[in-house]
Amino acid sequence: MIEASERAAMLESVRGAIASAGDDVGTALAEVGWLEMLDAEPDDAIEIVFSAIGAANATASVLDDVVVSALGREPRADLAVVLPSFASWQPPGRIEAPEVAGQGLATARANGAAEVLVVCGTASEPSLVGLPSSAISVESARGVDPSAAVRVVRVHGSASNPAPVDPGAWSAAVGRGRRAVAYEIAGACRAMLDLARNHALERVQFDRPIARFQAVRHRLAEALVAVESLEAALAAARDVPTAETAALAKAVAGRSAHTVARHCQQVLGGIGFTTEHAFHRYLKRTIALEGVFGSADEIVVDVGRRLLSERRVPTLVEL
Amino acid sequence: MPPNNAGTAESTPAIDLAAYRAELNAWLDANHERLAPRYDPPGTIDDQVAQMQRVKSILFEAGWMQRGWPERVGGSGGPPMLRTELGAALAARDLADPGLFSLIEVLAPTLIDFAPPELAADAVPRLLSGAELWCQGFSEPDSGSDLASLRCRAAPEGGNADTATNWIINGQKVWTSLAQFSDRCVLLTRTGPADSRHRGITAFFVDMDSPGITVAPLEMLNGVLEFAEVFFEDVVVPAERMLGELNGGWAVAMDILPYERSSCFWQRIAFLYGRLQRLVELAPDGDRFAEIVGEAYIQLHALRARSRATQHRLAATGTIGAETSIDKVLVATAEQTIYDAVRRLLPGVIEIDGSASGELWRNEYLYSRASTIYGGTAEVQRNIIARRLLDLGSEG
Repeated sequence: MIEASERAAMLESVRGAIASAGDDVGTALAEVGWLEMLDAEPDDAIEIVFSAIGAANATASVLDDVVVSALGREPRADLAVVLPSFASWQPPGRIEAPEVAGQGLATARANGAAEVLVVCGTASEPSLVGLPSSAISVESARGVDPSAAVRVVRVHGSASNPAPVDPGAWSAAVGRGRRAVAYEIAGACRAMLDLARNHALERVQFDRPIARFQAVRHRLAEALVAVESLEAALAAARDVPTAETAALAKAVAGRSAHTVARHCQQVLGGIGFTTEHAFHRYLKRTIALEGVFGSADEIVVDVGRRLLSERRVPTLVEL
Repeated sequence: MPPNNAGTAESTPAIDLAAYRAELNAWLDANHERLAPRYDPPGTIDDQVAQMQRVKSILFEAGWMQRGWPERVGGSGGPPMLRTELGAALAARDLADPGLFSLIEVLAPTLIDFAPPELAADAVPRLLSGAELWCQGFSEPDSGSDLASLRCRAAPEGGNADTATNWIINGQKVWTSLAQFSDRCVLLTRTGPADSRHRGITAFFVDMDSPGITVAPLEMLNGVLEFAEVFFEDVVVPAERMLGELNGGWAVAMDILPYERSSCFWQRIAFLYGRLQRLVELAPDGDRFAEIVGEAYIQLHALRARSRATQHRLAATGTIGAETSIDKVLVATAEQTIYDAVRRLLPGVIEIDGSASGELWRNEYLYSRASTIYGGTAEVQRNIIARRLLDLGSEG
């Protein structure tokens, strides 16, 4: 854990880099030391960078670095990874020697990377193969999010030397990936709430700002409750970094994003339904991210099944 | 915040909470038989109150009740989180109702922070040891969410507030939990002009056996007589029982917030985990049920994470404020979600099960409907969030 002053400086440099980066946010983040931060202080790096990406609606393929490093490999700008399929958190690849196949999600980095890592097998017996990017075909880059931060990809290559992966490393990769995505969603939620709040203060109807109407105020209050409960779940997942706390943070991210988007969009009224206003980009990004490393619906059912089968309700975090 | 705040004033050496928890739980395990209720839960309110007082006296004798309280009121010092851990452990084990037990957290700090030192030193140990019960006389029939409009009047005997040795109280309180069992009452009264709002309120520590006090228990919708109407007719209270300054009662009322929103909530959360545990022991298998249980669990987890952060902030800074309206909304919502889950997973239990277990679930399910009302309604919390946290300016 770094000092508050160092953290503030890091946050500022990351935000500045993203704001002035234009299209190439990845390079801008590399220049302010993203990979070094990820190596030295992964928890701070993930929190700061992904919250900032979410808040700015930036697109950068840094999720690859988070997963690669959790798998025990050295992350680099030309090394990509295939993520689990939409709403899933199982390894995306399967080995049918001598071939490797599969389907999953990927960031834009998978196109043109020197190497793409694919985790194969099952969560309890995973293995890892490195493929050329020619083995990865983009099945769909079209979806709700216009920036196509995640795409659907198909894997088809040959499996020379799959390396066994410690199941703990795969679980750690899923956990860190979930936290990273949830931070991005949290950043986007804060941004949606800021947009709606500003609109409510500026938009005048019936001779007064609509922020003075209790119905509007209560929607914004509900949105803040949702954002802050997500931030609390993320802080708990950071302090007690287990597979369970990360899974719950990702599930809370899905539920909170839905609540925040619903109330903020309603407060924004007509302008929130246009592409002239920034709101739609945040809405769409949170919808797209919902499926990365498991959706709230899938995680909730998975967690519930475990509670019922073990007949035990663990508290996970203590004072 | 008063200067001698009960949460932070005494020396609070760093303490290993995990070790404390382990020691506490080992002791509670070893003494389970002595502590367990002597009736089939839920029991009557009389059973519950007697159980709580019995548990308090055993814990006091063993020194647990004193942990986390200042030495000048008979405590053994240490950070307030020690009391929070104790209350949570009792709630998780169903040894005392968290709603009743955690009243200590909204009553004792008031005495510690505002009573003359001798009075606090004399009274607080009696509350902790189970020798006495106290209640909190805040709400009135016409003052619910709008507490500053309260009208129960205190007038100086003889007319001069500076020289009066007694104050005379007339008026009515309502929703006063455990009033019929209580020995004392922390009472808010009107001492300023009728329209003086929060500037004209004074707090007193009133003996409930004073002539002129009538208590009329009110039956809640779950059949329990937990709260009461309390009537005051020319009740004489000595001037030295004034808590805080004349017309300084609003500060007394506001002072409970940090305790209510930290320790009390953590105890309630521990209780809710216990209830969810009981539910998964009884619930049928199946994905439909898994979804309902999972949904309740993630809400409870987010609430616990939030409350944990709040308590660490209180311990670090000595103060928490309007942001705890978020904790309050989350507590109320999670509690209702859990009991809604009970109703969906155990069909017929709340509705028509005549067993003691059915009685317990029914009683608690019905009580949970009030969680968005008591302690500040969900609407008042949202007003505070909008005004204070989102800075939306005034309403209307």
